[in-house]
Amino acid sequence: LPDGVNISKEARSAISRAASVFVLYATSCANNFAMKGKRKTLNAGDVLSAMEEMEFQRFVAPLKESLEVYRREQKGKKEARKDKDKKADSDEQDKSREEENDDDDERMEEEEQNDEEEVDN
Amino acid sequence: PGPARLARLPLARVKALVKADPDVSLASQEAVFVLARATELFVETIAKDAYMYAQQGKRKTLQRRDLDNAIEAIDEFAFLE
Repeated sequence: LPDGVNISKEARSAISRAASVFVLYATSCANNFAMKGKRKTLNAGDVLSAMEEMEFQRFVAPLKESLEVYRREQKGKKEARKDKDKKADSDEQDKSREEENDDDDERMEEEEQNDEEEVDN
Repeated sequence: PGPARLARLPLARVKALVKADPDVSLASQEAVFVLARATELFVETIAKDAYMYAQQGKRKTLQRRDLDNAIEAIDEFAFLE
């Protein structure tokens, strides 16, 4: 929004709620694509498909760009961790930290922040 | 900074919403990121659209009714009704 524009408390709260609804709706939509692909894990592609489905096609290009930046960042983090591991575990094989093939489309990164969470539903 | 910014919305909040869906078992980290980023774009869009109504009313403060008007008028926001 341009400078000097204010947002009332009620408007702010309404936007916040709208954003939550957006996430819930987009998730549900994306999940349909995952199920269609017989996958149990929602991936980035599913979310992009959901955007098109929800008539937010104009989001797709900027989202793809952001995703590329994100992937490069994650890769950088991974390399940094690999180096740390090499120094720390020179003797033992750290099998619990599996390094995924970077060419995979569906990359499931495993980081300190546990990001794939199984939901017991 | 270009168009490809990293998300500013906290990913943990987005992830919590994803987990709230009983049909979803797992979501990749990338999926959560793209969702967060999409939500930012959504917020930008709806704020901008609502602001047009504030401008019509010659106001510089976005009010709740501006959002209501935008939601009613714009097809993509029908899911919010």
